[in-house]
Amino acid sequence: MPQVTMQVNGRSVSGEVEARTLLVQFLREHLELTGTHVGCDTTQCGCCTVHVDGVGIKSCTMLALACEGANITTIEGLAKGDVLHPMQSAFSEHHGLQCGFCTPGMIMSAIDMVNRKGHALDETTVRKELEGNICRCTGYHNIVKAVQAGAAAMKGA
Amino acid sequence: MAATTKTTGIGAALRRKEDLRLITGRGEFTDDFREAGQLYIYFLRSPHAHARIIKIDATEALALPGVKSVLTGKELLADGIKPLPHHVWALHPADIAMPNVDGSETFMAPHHAIAVDKARHVGEIVAMVVATSVALAKDAAELIHVEYDILPSVTNTWDTVKQDAAVVWDENGSNVCGDVETGSREDTNAAFAKAAHVARIETWVQRVTGVPMEPRAALAVFDEGTGRVTLTAGSGGSVRLKYDLAHMLGMKSEDVRIIMKDVGGNFGTRGMIYAEFCLVGWAARRLKTPVKWTAERSESFQSDYQARDLAVTAELALDKDGKFLAMRGSNIGNAGAHTSNFSPLQKGVEIMTSIYNIPTACFRARPVVSNTLPTRPYRSAGRPEVMFVMERLIDIAAREFGFDRVELRRKNLLHKEDLPFKNPFGMIYDNGDYHAVMEQVLELGDWTGFEARRAEAKARGKLRGIGVANYVDTATGVPRERAEITVRPDGQVDVIIGTISQGQGHETSFAQLATEFLHVPEDKVNIITGDTDVVKVGGGTHSGRGMRLASIVIWKASNEIIAKGKRIAALMAKADPAQVTFEKGHFHAAGQSLSLFDVARAASERNDLPDDLRAPLYAMSDETVNEAAFPYGAHVCEVEIDPALGTVEIARYSTVDDVGRAVNPMIIHGQTHGGIAQGVGQALMEEIVYDRQSGQLMTGSFMDYTMPRADNFPFFDAGFAEIPCTTHPLGIRPAGEGGTTPALGVTMNAVVDALRDFGVTHMDMPATPEKVWRAIHRKA
Repeated sequence: MPQVTMQVNGRSVSGEVEARTLLVQFLREHLELTGTHVGCDTTQCGCCTVHVDGVGIKSCTMLALACEGANITTIEGLAKGDVLHPMQSAFSEHHGLQCGFCTPGMIMSAIDMVNRKGHALDETTVRKELEGNICRCTGYHNIVKAVQAGAAAMKGA
Repeated sequence: MAATTKTTGIGAALRRKEDLRLITGRGEFTDDFREAGQLYIYFLRSPHAHARIIKIDATEALALPGVKSVLTGKELLADGIKPLPHHVWALHPADIAMPNVDGSETFMAPHHAIAVDKARHVGEIVAMVVATSVALAKDAAELIHVEYDILPSVTNTWDTVKQDAAVVWDENGSNVCGDVETGSREDTNAAFAKAAHVARIETWVQRVTGVPMEPRAALAVFDEGTGRVTLTAGSGGSVRLKYDLAHMLGMKSEDVRIIMKDVGGNFGTRGMIYAEFCLVGWAARRLKTPVKWTAERSESFQSDYQARDLAVTAELALDKDGKFLAMRGSNIGNAGAHTSNFSPLQKGVEIMTSIYNIPTACFRARPVVSNTLPTRPYRSAGRPEVMFVMERLIDIAAREFGFDRVELRRKNLLHKEDLPFKNPFGMIYDNGDYHAVMEQVLELGDWTGFEARRAEAKARGKLRGIGVANYVDTATGVPRERAEITVRPDGQVDVIIGTISQGQGHETSFAQLATEFLHVPEDKVNIITGDTDVVKVGGGTHSGRGMRLASIVIWKASNEIIAKGKRIAALMAKADPAQVTFEKGHFHAAGQSLSLFDVARAASERNDLPDDLRAPLYAMSDETVNEAAFPYGAHVCEVEIDPALGTVEIARYSTVDDVGRAVNPMIIHGQTHGGIAQGVGQALMEEIVYDRQSGQLMTGSFMDYTMPRADNFPFFDAGFAEIPCTTHPLGIRPAGEGGTTPALGVTMNAVVDALRDFGVTHMDMPATPEKVWRAIHRKA
């Protein structure tokens, strides 16, 4: 089986994978980083969103082998020790999660949104940019509030 | 609206204790668990809606290296695996009974975990493959040859009762499993005979699916030494799953253990044991190896219990002044291929008249089967459907007979002096102020300012509409709940409770209850759920029972802790127990102040205590609550339609739900927001579609089942009222379903109002852009 090597959350990892192994399978099953979730099989729900070389990617739609040499950040890699990433704090502060299953993908997408769109995100922008992330619990109300607050907080961080 | 500044206990908008692990990727959902040497399951499912299974040949599949087993209905029966233990009707004493008019029994048929003779819906399990990897199990499933004799099928609810409909269960001779009449036919017909006006509706409240974001999964381990099966899986509750799994596997309940950590949503969809859970347990026991199964989303669409699907014809009689006189009609509830759950039909029909003063009513209710997935309760089961019917009927009547929509509601809404009120079906509404709540939401939604907004939208070429809807919600469910509280000398309070959260935030809100009663900070309270070796009794989350029942048992157990504590404190201080007080977490006795934990330590260290006070400082409350609760409220929805595209935008959405007493306002608002989205989702976009000819499931993924997304909504104006519930000792009303219950009706009332100039008086859900566009351009 082919070998793949990448940086995940600042750590160099490698493993033997089948050619068909998806990045999310590599993360969850080989590295046991189970914070990245799988909520669908059609790249619709965004639960599996991670950052590949700083860009938000749905890890169910990328092969592990395509990440050779890449720098991956998952939800587990956001906090610095006990210090949460501002977007993580914002989701808790604004009750932007209920069951928490879509949350890792939401947070990773939200950070990617800030990276692309800046810190002053209006409601319409946030709602449109979240098109690729599905939540069934919150009605999105508090997620939008959390993303706006998290975006602003990231400016100071 | 409650403006609270409390920071602890009941009423505090406390941030959630469960969040930290969930925002850092350390949640423990079922698929996150693994066992050394685990095998993987893949289920081969019927591609046909209705087919006799002639032959299954798994020879080639079994020849693949790594394939450990292929099991079918034949082995299932040989091993004595029992059918799913469905209870079709809700048995709570407050819900109405559903006897057949002709005295016959409700038809029920065995629901086997694997189809044994016929497949009765697309997605029904035909064979189970166990292999060393998921990919291999899938490859093997493709090598299983199943010979089917394809039969005619029926999926559409109206079609099921037709004379020439395909029959799902030959044993019953037709698809009608029951035929119930409730209310008074004679009085109702008499009232209709003198009515000045009669409003009519015929509608189908379409089928949807719950879509909890975590796909179902299960991991089973069989311990050969003890003979026990341990199943890790997410469900509506752990205790019932334990008993149901033990029943199906023919095991003693103590030989089954359920582990349930984080559960990614429920909404009723997870409320009952699934075939897959039993099969995973059976495979582990049979192969003596851990086995795991995780659904893919497309598999969820063809295996999760689906929901709603009610065909209704209804009439509302009014006198010349608009006073409601009577209501009558017929409800057909499509249960799907198996006689699994008819309670949405029951829980709907019993409150068909909602909170209006309608003296008499009569409804026929028929549960039917069809070649579709089984249905079961989903977010406020049965009630959103009938509230939709009632609220649409009122708007239809207002329009047709020239009444103002709001005035018509004001004229007929029950007054607080009318309560408690026995509705025409026998349900007794507790208390509340229906008028005040409706007026509150009309103000929140600026009803009186609407026409200016409509005109402003019109100037922009948009069609703006507004709707209002009232609702009531019968909260019953499993009546028994238990809490066990232990005060530990190390400064922690453990609360074992039989109802597990699937996102509702119990670790926080239940802890707030213990904080309120025992004056211990929330971060010292540990809510323990989700392991049936620890949790022995509990009903799970459904029918607004989580907080309603947990609060009672946590309160009673806390009171017992305090009573015991006073006696211990009295011994410690050599005081009269009657003189001991408990304030701010301390017992005050003969000038001494002893903390709850001082007392707990004494209970474990002293040897002079009577037996019932010896360590640990523990109390249990086990209660059966046979009274229903009737949460109610009112919503206002405002939509804006783009006539060129037919798209419906929710412009404003306001709610006032009477929660009796808000334990955590932040969590309550969150529940309301999510509930609204599920209701609006049904009104505007969601629909499970079966091909009417072939019975094929056409909505099998997120590509073709429209899920509500962030850009479908505005920020909601969610308020609530706190009029203490008179049938709950702490005044608490359920708050989890109010967001959804009136949302279907209020959204469609707004859509129809926006389309009033196009001759539209009613539209069946969902109001998709295509349907709306056609409605506009047919007349234009």
